[in-house]
Amino acid sequence: MKGEIKDLKGASFYIKRGLIYMVLILWSLFTFLPLYWMLVSSFIDPNSSASLQFTLVPKEFTLASYSYFFTFNKNVLRWLFNSLLISGVVTLANVFFASMAGYAFSKLRFPGRNAFFWTLMSSIMIPGQVTLIPLYILVVNVFNMSDTYFAIILPGVVSVYNIFLMKQYMTSIPSTLIDAARIDACSEFGIFRKVIFPMAKPGVAVMAIFTFVGQWNDFFWPFLVTKTSTMRTIQVGLSSFKFADSTQFGPMMAGAVIASIPMFILFFALQKYFLQGITIGAIKG
Amino acid sequence: MKKMADADNRWARNRQFIQDYGWSYIFIALPILIFLTFTLYPLLRALVMSFQTYHVMGSEWVGFKNYAYVFHRELFSKALINTLLYTLGTVPINIIISLGLALAIFQLGKKSQTFFKASFYLPAVASGVTISLVWLFIYDPMPEGLMNQFIHLFGFANVNWLGKVDTALLSLMFLTFLGGHGSGLILYLASLGGIPKTIYEAADIDAASTWSKFRNITWPLLKPTTLYMLVINVIGSFQVFMSAYLMTSGGPDHATTTIAYLIYQDAFEYFEFGVAAAESFILALIIVAISVLQFKYMGSDVEY
Amino acid sequence: MAKIIFDHVTKEFVDDKKGRVKAVDDSCFTVEDQEFMVFVGPSGCGKTTSLRMIAGLERQTSGNIYIGDRVVNNLHPKERDIAMVFQDYALYPHMTIYENLAFGLKNLKTPKLEIEAKVKRASEILGLGDLLERRPRELSGGQRQRVALGRAIVRNPKVFLFDEPLSNLDAKLRVQMRVEIAELHKALGTTIVYVTHDQVEAMTLGQRIVVMNRGVIQQIATPDNLYNKPANMFVAGFIGAPAMNFLNCRIEQKHFVIDQDTVFGISQEYQKLCKPLIGREIVLGIRPEDIYDPHLAPNLKNPGTLHAAVKVVEKLGAENLFYFDRAGVTVTARISAQSRVMAGEHVELLMDLDKVHLFDKESGMAIR
Ligand SMILES: Nc1ncnc2c1ncn2[C@@H]1O[C@H](COP(=O)(O)OP(=O)(O)OP(=O)(O)O)[C@@H](O)[C@H]1O
Ligand SMILES: [Mg+2]
Repeated sequence: MKGEIKDLKGASFYIKRGLIYMVLILWSLFTFLPLYWMLVSSFIDPNSSASLQFTLVPKEFTLASYSYFFTFNKNVLRWLFNSLLISGVVTLANVFFASMAGYAFSKLRFPGRNAFFWTLMSSIMIPGQVTLIPLYILVVNVFNMSDTYFAIILPGVVSVYNIFLMKQYMTSIPSTLIDAARIDACSEFGIFRKVIFPMAKPGVAVMAIFTFVGQWNDFFWPFLVTKTSTMRTIQVGLSSFKFADSTQFGPMMAGAVIASIPMFILFFALQKYFLQGITIGAIKG
Repeated sequence: MKKMADADNRWARNRQFIQDYGWSYIFIALPILIFLTFTLYPLLRALVMSFQTYHVMGSEWVGFKNYAYVFHRELFSKALINTLLYTLGTVPINIIISLGLALAIFQLGKKSQTFFKASFYLPAVASGVTISLVWLFIYDPMPEGLMNQFIHLFGFANVNWLGKVDTALLSLMFLTFLGGHGSGLILYLASLGGIPKTIYEAADIDAASTWSKFRNITWPLLKPTTLYMLVINVIGSFQVFMSAYLMTSGGPDHATTTIAYLIYQDAFEYFEFGVAAAESFILALIIVAISVLQFKYMGSDVEY
Repeated sequence: MAKIIFDHVTKEFVDDKKGRVKAVDDSCFTVEDQEFMVFVGPSGCGKTTSLRMIAGLERQTSGNIYIGDRVVNNLHPKERDIAMVFQDYALYPHMTIYENLAFGLKNLKTPKLEIEAKVKRASEILGLGDLLERRPRELSGGQRQRVALGRAIVRNPKVFLFDEPLSNLDAKLRVQMRVEIAELHKALGTTIVYVTHDQVEAMTLGQRIVVMNRGVIQQIATPDNLYNKPANMFVAGFIGAPAMNFLNCRIEQKHFVIDQDTVFGISQEYQKLCKPLIGREIVLGIRPEDIYDPHLAPNLKNPGTLHAAVKVVEKLGAENLFYFDRAGVTVTARISAQSRVMAGEHVELLMDLDKVHLFDKESGMAIR
């Protein structure tokens, strides 16, 4: 008797499980579809008639679209390099400056701490459009930095959001460690460098990844402040392709693949950090 | 003599202040500097600009003229309505999708959870440009377009998805439903994990139905997360620009002109900096107002 | 050499909610060279704050602090020649035990060979020899505590500061470490300031004890004097467990009158003291261990009879605790376990009248 009841329960449980798996897998396939389609179409010959036929399995496999994309503009490699450089510098700067500020705001007591912190935080609330125009004028006309790496990098050197992230993360580091380090004759900067920063590494890694991806994918600001083809980032370059020739979908998808592959690789390599990271950033407490 | 002692004292006090707090200020110096130059100054400048007609050499003070113009401008109301429609049509649905997915995934084992988290997050790693281009391709108006091929299967006729007033905005909305739920999903999963199991056990003892458990336990306890998602997503959707710019250029017949796109056009295509600044302030006010309303309405019983 | 002097030291915090909080109020004391001084008091009384001011982790609002012959008001912790052991050990989790121990010396630019020698010696003293390559999370609580001690020892400072170092250990380990710390003090001959809220720790370790309450020093005395001659009702109630009983009492010609059936003769020793107080209301304190079962009582010179309707008897093994009401308060008596008295019985207990403490009713100060 008892066994029967158990079995019944088990069956309905497995049916439910199975249904859940089915729905989730279907839905994730659904969300993968655009990206999958991007990949498949990039391997089709741009001049063949098959280029627009939808097929689950690619009918042909050529790298013609890729070579088309690379020859369409001789600067494609330069764009990739620009993106890499800019994202790298912005990430490093944020790792350094945002973690320092996060440390000060979470662990040090000084006059005006809250006032400074909330002043900085308030800028999260300001929509980008508001400051965009004067920012543009400032960077392009006043600083005369149009078409330079500086113009792209400078406004993103330290993001308020990252400061917030680091503050949240560092709050959980026990303050007595800082006291202990002071007793251990550590300088104030030494405390940050030798005690706090190493302990905050997991949080810093999360921040670094998100900053890198965010900067790599950023389109609008680099688009506004770059004029010559050699200074473009890959995103800006890719978008220019659309306007150049919008019927060449194969090469366009090849470009999209090239622009996103580094991020996908990063994602698979550092999945753990990505998935953890999002919850650190959510405003809590 | 006394004067010197005073000066000594002041010097000692200053030294003490620097010794105690100097490093703190050094640590925050750059962010503050960046804030002053790249946020506060542009903000104030934008405010001034919104009362001016911009010329490279000396702008002209025009009072509220820009604002008056914006308020009476049909295109602005149209952009506002488009943005509102876009927000109403995407944010709630996407939150519900995230929540639904999270509830489903939450019941699975640890490994499956990680797998689905990763697969739903993956599309979020692609850039806005990439996504826009892919969808431009999918929405291709020719019969060979992927979307058209798909509806042909069900016997529908060809649609010029992005080219017609009726379907353009809907098409932009639809693409958000596929992908971009990764972070919401993970946030919901984290909050679900934070709900003590004992609450559900107590409810089981009271023989509560699945629906009743969701209604009375899960939903209220997820409210802070929902509020957070709502605020963040609404703010984001009010600033939607990329798809309008790359896929439709605001058309056809301004059917996909969002406020952010309109501001861009006014500023960087027509160089009407004053008008664009005024529009951006109105946008900012709307965003702040909506955020405050959301906190008031949803946040009354939310503990932070 | 390394005396510590607090000269009218006050520390005020500005709290967001409570406004200004005086954590330490006009504190004056001297810790002699090589002395083992204990700070004790209830939670929030300012022990930690006082210690942190000695360490230089907190700056006093007013007053002067001396270590040795120097005013250290403006000196960094590293310039004060002190070491500190924290309640949560505060070991650096990302460093090995060796690196933890060597960190301070490295910061002081000590030559590498010297660091090695010092770390080796400290780890031998504390029996940490084979743990040096591990990380703190791989150690037990007791081992971590030893590392924290070691980190202080390698610095060879003039002053050791301890902030409740044993409170995270289980009872058995705590006793063991207590003994080790006492031995360490003997071996190293340094000045030690030790914060605890555990009075057993305070009484066993301290050569002298500072009792604090709400930021104010209540008494500074040797453990014996603290127990036998508490300066006020707070100290009397805080030191000793269970706490001293306090009964309201009127002083008459030859008697303490508590209520109708509780009247004691004033013994010889107290008569001079009580003469000016005749007719006054005071508070009479008696420790639970100075109340006896008449059958088991030692020979008391001046016994007083206490009628007790015993409400509850708690058996602790070696002794029993009796609770009964007298003159509106619940009195505790600590009676030998051989006593046959049961809960609910009416009995006569004996009180050692040579051991009573008298306090002024208004100020709570001891009458001496
Ligand atoms: N940084 C601070 N800001 C504000 N108030 C503080 C701060 N540090 C301590 N206080 C207050 O000062 C008082 C004394 O605190 P302290 O830490 O010295 O107590 P304590 O005797 O060590 O207590 P415990 O036994 O709980 O450790 C408390 O009321 C506390 O709330
Ligand atoms: Mg304390």
